[in-house]
Amino acid sequence: MAHEYVPEVAIDREGNEHLVQGWQDDYFGGKMGFWLFMFTEVMMFSAMFLTLSYYYTLHPQDYTEASAHLNRLLGGFNTVILLISAWTMGLGLLKMRSGDVSGAKKFILATMFIAALFLVVKGFEWHEEYEHGIFLGHGHLIEEGYPLGKKLFYGMYFTMTGLHGFHVLIGIGLMIWLLKRINAGKVTPEHHILHFNIALYWDLVHLIWVFVFPYFYMIGAAHGH
Amino acid sequence: MATNEQTVDTALYEREKGTYHKILIGLLILTAITFVQPHLFLAHATFEAQLLIGFAKAWLIVAYYMHLKSEKPVIGIMVAFALMLVLFFFVTTIIDVHHFQFTDESYITNGTLK
Amino acid sequence: MSAKSYLEETHTAFGHPKSKILQWLLTIDHKRIGIMYAVVMFFFFFVAVGIGMTMRAELWEPGKQLVDPHTFNQLFTLHGVIMIFIFIVPGIPAIFGNIIMPLMIGAKDVSFPRLNWANFWLYVIGCIVALFSLWGENGFADTGWTFYAPYSLTTSTNVIPVLVAAFLLGMSSILTGLNFLVTIHRLRAPGMDFFKMPLFVWGIYATGWIQLLATPVVGITLILAMLEKYFGIGIFDPAKGGDPVLFEHLFWIYSHPAVYLMILPAFGVMSEIIPTFSRKEIFGYRTVALSSAAIAGIGYLVWGHHLFTSGMSDLAKTIFSFLTFFVAVPTGIKFYDWVATMYKAKIVLRAPMVWALGTMITFVIGGLTGVTITMIGGDIHLQDTYYSVAHFHYAILGGVVFLMFAGMHYWFPIITGKMYNEKNAIRAFALIFVGFNLLWFPMFIAGYYGMPRRYFDYLPEFAIYHKIAFVGGVMLVIGLLWMFYNLIQGWRKGEPSGPNPWNATTLEWHLPMAPAPLDNHTKVPYVDFRPYEYKHGEPVVKFDYETMRRID
Repeated sequence: MAHEYVPEVAIDREGNEHLVQGWQDDYFGGKMGFWLFMFTEVMMFSAMFLTLSYYYTLHPQDYTEASAHLNRLLGGFNTVILLISAWTMGLGLLKMRSGDVSGAKKFILATMFIAALFLVVKGFEWHEEYEHGIFLGHGHLIEEGYPLGKKLFYGMYFTMTGLHGFHVLIGIGLMIWLLKRINAGKVTPEHHILHFNIALYWDLVHLIWVFVFPYFYMIGAAHGH
Repeated sequence: MATNEQTVDTALYEREKGTYHKILIGLLILTAITFVQPHLFLAHATFEAQLLIGFAKAWLIVAYYMHLKSEKPVIGIMVAFALMLVLFFFVTTIIDVHHFQFTDESYITNGTLK
Repeated sequence: MSAKSYLEETHTAFGHPKSKILQWLLTIDHKRIGIMYAVVMFFFFFVAVGIGMTMRAELWEPGKQLVDPHTFNQLFTLHGVIMIFIFIVPGIPAIFGNIIMPLMIGAKDVSFPRLNWANFWLYVIGCIVALFSLWGENGFADTGWTFYAPYSLTTSTNVIPVLVAAFLLGMSSILTGLNFLVTIHRLRAPGMDFFKMPLFVWGIYATGWIQLLATPVVGITLILAMLEKYFGIGIFDPAKGGDPVLFEHLFWIYSHPAVYLMILPAFGVMSEIIPTFSRKEIFGYRTVALSSAAIAGIGYLVWGHHLFTSGMSDLAKTIFSFLTFFVAVPTGIKFYDWVATMYKAKIVLRAPMVWALGTMITFVIGGLTGVTITMIGGDIHLQDTYYSVAHFHYAILGGVVFLMFAGMHYWFPIITGKMYNEKNAIRAFALIFVGFNLLWFPMFIAGYYGMPRRYFDYLPEFAIYHKIAFVGGVMLVIGLLWMFYNLIQGWRKGEPSGPNPWNATTLEWHLPMAPAPLDNHTKVPYVDFRPYEYKHGEPVVKFDYETMRRID
């Protein structure tokens, strides 16, 4: 029982015709829907940043010391590659819009590769923290007398980088799906709302990292190791 | 229908590609500043300085990579509304925790577990 | 013109099932989805009513009657979880937002019909997960529906499945709100600008924003609580420096706007019913519309009044108390507008109008008692007493649910094409109204004298209030059963109503047939008129139903 859009007009009293917007193929509606969806993501991460700031207000000294300990090299590397991946994703969308489908696919693959690299680096970083006795339910974080502010800082560090990593993972999944849809001919230069929205999603993932990175890695940078 | 147009336009493509490159360079420069800031300037206010750079980067991403600048104003208004709400949540909650009058009487707020 | 209604044929998410049941399960038609929501929600509503009556029976006398204290804790948690997360939060938007809102703006469906379908099933999964924990090893959660940390993280009962359920239900609510927002922005009939929309659509629009922006906060709070429980991240665990007040902040950042999310569409229903049965244009259309937006906006800023006794700073208490008073202003504006609409009007006292008028009494009591506990001093006396229980039920049952019932009577002809028995509808209303007041008014007094809420036992001097409340509760339940029986009988055997039995003006009453056809308006009209234009009690705007052009 297909639900095809039948073009329809409404006629006003002067006899002018006005086109009726259907829900099918509503390009701007699709964009607006995805922007609204991104607000929910923003609110979720805002609530976590709020938690982080709440305890920063209580324990500024502990936070700075805990931050100084994190690996700025790996974190910084991830920041730069994620930045580049946002660029490749955007170029892929441009390729798609200009009609170059195979070029678009190459850029999507490049983005996926960088996203996977990001996760690998993240894994190394977590492993290094673990070696230093810092992990959820392990080492210092369950040690009596370890400063509370540090426990909270690292607790949020693993929560937020973890949930951000989860979003990266979802992003990779979405890009695989996008490639399948492109191969199936469902996403085309004339009909690319899915590509557009996944590119938006990827920018959002990058955007979150833009705040996660300084809040965790940089606030204690002046104190060095 | 004007709003549903998804046309192929190569001239536009070249122009937008140029924007993407420029924004990439801008973001890379800002990231570089992020790294050197604690050692160069405002070291006593690292948090505020970092936050400021973060907002600058966020603005570039939202306005150009996410095309908010060329989008219809209605989406911009929605974004502004959501962000104002977030700001209120932060300001009020931080006011609360900052002005708690019994800070010294609880280990949760004074940070020393005895 | 197709002569088949949406009840006879449908669009499905995929496939072309022949089976009637599969057609229902896979339907993407907004009207059918709304009906399915109603079926699930009212099933759970009656379960929760039953639980409520069990608690009332337990409280008939001091001491133990029916259940032990631990079970009592689980009962009020289950009652709260069902009523809040499963019944009243999806509430009017899920039923009437789905069924009526697209009809009101002349749309063929919501913007993302498949998402709508998926949301319904997400909602059902959420309900199942919530119930699933009932049969778990340690029994249902005993924390109260607010899941306050740290107790919710240390109790041995199954809190986590309930948190998962609340998260799923929240996601369903967010995406439904998103769907409605895009629908209202994109699919209005040509010519209909925001100030030509019916006021119910304004209510749904404001609600959509609350669903979208507030619900994620509680979603992530529940996730953080789960991470706390399983990974010990520390933020809600006082042993690691976690502050329980933070949990309450995050919880109420959503849960306070959530009550406006419940009441705004209900106000929308009221704004539809009052002009139709007063046969007059609504007084101050713009103020009613904008006050919905104002309530939604201010509603975000007042969550802290739930924390007056929780260890918040005095400065924050003052700010929140101050801001909370402002919510009463737009609400008051709405009430004055409704009363002004009825002034010197020829009021037609049919069942929907009677429900609306009854609500005006109960909601004013609920709303004004809310203002009394906005004051910090008053709140410290009344916090966590029966006073706040009575306030909440007057505002939500006596406001939202009563108006939902009003809407059920009002839009019954569109949904079923039939008319219910008017006399029985009025009688059921009378019984419910009296029972409702007997049930909850004594609680104001008991609470004022210090009866704490959520207690299994009480001092002998409170016995009289509990006994009156029980009697009221029995009347309420009988009235509810009577009302539903009457509506079901109306659907089965009622007289055909015709598409516009109330002679109302808004677009949902200009359908070619009742029940509504599958593709809504056969032709979409051009909207160059305000939604409630009456002259001498008759609608001004008339259509030629073949072309949907104005002929007045």
